[in-house]
Amino acid sequence: MKKHLQVFLMFLMLVILAGCSGRSDKDEIVIWHNMRPEETKILQEQIDEFTRKNPGIKVIQLFKETEEMRSGYIVAAIGGQGPDLIYGPSDQIGPFVEMKIIKPLDEVFDTVFINSFNQSALIEVEGKLWQLADKLGNHLMLVYNKKMVPVPPTNDKELIEIGKKLTIDKNGDGRPDQYGLVWNYTEPYFFIPFLTGHGGWVLDSLNKPSLDTPEIVKALKFMKALRDEYKIIPNEADYNVADALFKEGRAGMMINGDWSWSGYGNAGIDYGIAVLPKITSTGLYCKPMIAPKGFSINQRVEGERLERVKALLEFVLSPEKQIETALRVKTFPTRTELYSDKRLLADEVLNKSMQQINNGIPLPIITEMRAIWDAMRPPYQAVLGGSITPNEAAKQMQKQSLIKIKELRESIENPVWGLIVQILLLVAAGVTLFMMRKSITGFFRNLKKDSFAYLLSMPAVVIMVGVIFYPFVYNIVLSFSNMSLAHIHDWSIVGFIQYAKVFSEPQFYEIFLKTIIWTGANLFFHVFLGVTLALLLNKGLPGTPIFRTLLILPWAMPQYIVALTWRGMFNYEYGSINLLLVKFLSMSPIEWLKSPAEAFMAVIITNIWLGFPFMMIIALGALQSIPQELYEAADIDGAKWYHKLKSITIPLIKPVMIPAITLGVIWTFNNLNIVWLVSNAGEPSDKTHILVSYVYKAAFNLYRYGYAAAFSVVLFLILLAFGLTFLRKTKATESVY
Amino acid sequence: MDKKKLATNILTYIFLTVFTLIVLYPIMNVITISIRPGDKLMSTSLAIIPENATFRNYIELFTNRPFLLWAWNSAIVSFVVTFTGVALASTAGYALSRFRFIGKQTTMLGLLTTQMFPATMLLLPMYIMLIKLELLNSYLGIIIVYSATALPFCIWQMKGYYDTIPFSLEESARIDGCSRWQAFYKIIFPLAAPALVITALFSFMTAWSEYIVAAQVLQDTKLFTLPLGLKSFESNMSTEWGLYAAASLVVSIPVVVLFVILSKWLVSGLTLGSVKG
Repeated sequence: MKKHLQVFLMFLMLVILAGCSGRSDKDEIVIWHNMRPEETKILQEQIDEFTRKNPGIKVIQLFKETEEMRSGYIVAAIGGQGPDLIYGPSDQIGPFVEMKIIKPLDEVFDTVFINSFNQSALIEVEGKLWQLADKLGNHLMLVYNKKMVPVPPTNDKELIEIGKKLTIDKNGDGRPDQYGLVWNYTEPYFFIPFLTGHGGWVLDSLNKPSLDTPEIVKALKFMKALRDEYKIIPNEADYNVADALFKEGRAGMMINGDWSWSGYGNAGIDYGIAVLPKITSTGLYCKPMIAPKGFSINQRVEGERLERVKALLEFVLSPEKQIETALRVKTFPTRTELYSDKRLLADEVLNKSMQQINNGIPLPIITEMRAIWDAMRPPYQAVLGGSITPNEAAKQMQKQSLIKIKELRESIENPVWGLIVQILLLVAAGVTLFMMRKSITGFFRNLKKDSFAYLLSMPAVVIMVGVIFYPFVYNIVLSFSNMSLAHIHDWSIVGFIQYAKVFSEPQFYEIFLKTIIWTGANLFFHVFLGVTLALLLNKGLPGTPIFRTLLILPWAMPQYIVALTWRGMFNYEYGSINLLLVKFLSMSPIEWLKSPAEAFMAVIITNIWLGFPFMMIIALGALQSIPQELYEAADIDGAKWYHKLKSITIPLIKPVMIPAITLGVIWTFNNLNIVWLVSNAGEPSDKTHILVSYVYKAAFNLYRYGYAAAFSVVLFLILLAFGLTFLRKTKATESVY
Repeated sequence: MDKKKLATNILTYIFLTVFTLIVLYPIMNVITISIRPGDKLMSTSLAIIPENATFRNYIELFTNRPFLLWAWNSAIVSFVVTFTGVALASTAGYALSRFRFIGKQTTMLGLLTTQMFPATMLLLPMYIMLIKLELLNSYLGIIIVYSATALPFCIWQMKGYYDTIPFSLEESARIDGCSRWQAFYKIIFPLAAPALVITALFSFMTAWSEYIVAAQVLQDTKLFTLPLGLKSFESNMSTEWGLYAAASLVVSIPVVVLFVILSKWLVSGLTLGSVKG
């Protein structure tokens, strides 16, 4: 008993420890940002200097990945919380303004201060200032390896010529070992310079999408020619492949943004940067998008707190701090007085940067841009994959962007239905209560008799209900609502419209089928491999503890890095899987990440690898409950191993395995991460989605929260139907004895 | 007979070895990333030990980053969640396995249904709820949420395991004068050791690796858990891959150690299965 007291005391101590360390200062200024590690270091130094000069003010900075920062900030701001300052690209300003979660800055700063910035650094929407940029850029330029490219090309002819010279097959295996040019060409953002070089643009003068144009077709053909006709770029390259090739000195030129340059210096590449080349047929330069990055203030910041935030911003945005940052990480400052600064002009990289910025096009600050990117990506990748022509792609891009913008802007009003649904929900709750009346009265009648059972299960049930009840109801209510960009704060109940939309979604059934294949394949292999390995490990052969420990590693490792490692292993040219297939099985290499079916298979293989150890551990535990005598008796009867498996092992591990399998199905069905990471958010062309990743991309990311909620209720109902059927078939809620 | 046994044993070893290699290869890649200079996730070379290999990232991790603080924070949170998980799941699972009472079916199904909603959709209401309860920026909030996340599986799993233990054991204990609580605590609880190990591992892992809720709830860098810390090495298109890989490997060590310690009970002689003749 003493030992248990110790355990309990230790537990108590831990709880107290957890409680105590869980306090934080409410007065400190919080900044969320998406800066690179080097920029973050500088920001922290500047903050330290600021807090030294202003004792009493505390500041903390938190890095968030761009997408996560955006959605996290929206969630926090809707809840009336969130950081005081949010730092990020200018394209997040559109939705923030519409959601009224950031503050107009012209009410905070005086005009003299504001006017000392470059005009492009002042992010204005509806005539008000919402973001003050401290960096101009995110601009793509031509980066070149000075050892291989003495003089950078100035037009497309020279680019192709130099590229051809540098694309060399050194070992004579028919595949180049060195490329003239590489870049992350599967991403439309990197396609924009070629579009502008051919005289096109994504929007017309009224800021409506204009994607079905001859210019876009020409630009697509040009891109494809670089790969298929002139063969100066790799067959398959995402960001990390391109990055690796350039860092290893196996690519002469690269198209990449200002964020990447200092990394090439660190990797030991003698690099230079040049303005993107001119397209000779049009006489136009390839102009990249210029996206300022800067600070916005949370809507809720007021009074004294606002003064402190203001002081901090004035400090961080001061010319001295800006030039310091610019010289160290080669980003371009926004205070105009710095543009004639000798230090800036003397810096080769910054000087070239200035030329490119003057020769770029500002990223449009409209919320619709997000829908346009989402609409461009699938047809763009389909052209690269060869499944559609550039003409068809242009048509699809235009059509999809109009659809997506309509979805983004959707505003459903339906007060009548709202009332009806509210009444229906009340009636449903009443009917349920009425149906349960016997159980409820029975519960009170038997309370005393069953008190032991209730006592044992109560703590767990209380925690579960406490945590899950409110979110659950909230979600169901939301699924009947019109919460979207147009109604973020003033949403109301509109009835079954969102559900009707879910079922009329043309892709729903196809993706549903894929989800079933995904779940089925995963679970089959998880259980099959898990149980097989557990049986082998349970034989008690010497050395099994080592195997046992090594085999759980996929479960113990953080998923993010392993998933991306697998993505690397599936690479067409450099991945180890293709290498294995070619060398040892003499098969032809598979385009894992470029064709939809193979990409989907790649995702499944990764998840099988990640998931089987868990089933193995459970099966190992389950095997311990089987009395050895049963096997001995079977041996005496002369039973074969498969007889023993069928009549002893399987029935006896079933009670433990069934819950694991049921939950395994539920978790796999809703497993967003692996699909997202391995297929890079549904690539190619959004063909590798399962339902949950689809709803995330097509609804959640377009701020259609009502629709997303309805979609997730549908997912919930599918799983509920599965759960009920499966459990009834397997009788898992009943006791065995 | 013996020859046949030898053959199956050799086959067993071959299968286990092949599988272990499949498991190890991607992890070897992660090791390679962690010792490769220049922050490259990808490489065109397949060498396990890269050119100019360096342990710089590991040194950086422990000397220049608050890695140990994150590990300590994660350890506190994970252990509390593990204790809670084991305590609540072992008792609730027992009640659900041994007794017939009104609400039993509802409870069991209810537990499953909590896992059926996509987690991203529950984040907003969960967050609003934690704000109202003033549990933002505190471990209490995430500990409760993590326990609730881990419990459904743990309870079901405990219940399943108790189901395989014959009723007669408690009956004889009761005849010997044990109370209902004693019969559970002294007889059945120790027999369920393998299931308790799984419950403990699962609860621990839930808390050890959770990111989404922690990212929304914990804002103070002093409170960061490991997944949040690791995330700070990430960045759009310029992640510190070397550090990230090194940290990922170090993070998985405690999980493996815990598994090794607990496997004594996962495959031990304490259980029914070992009543060997």
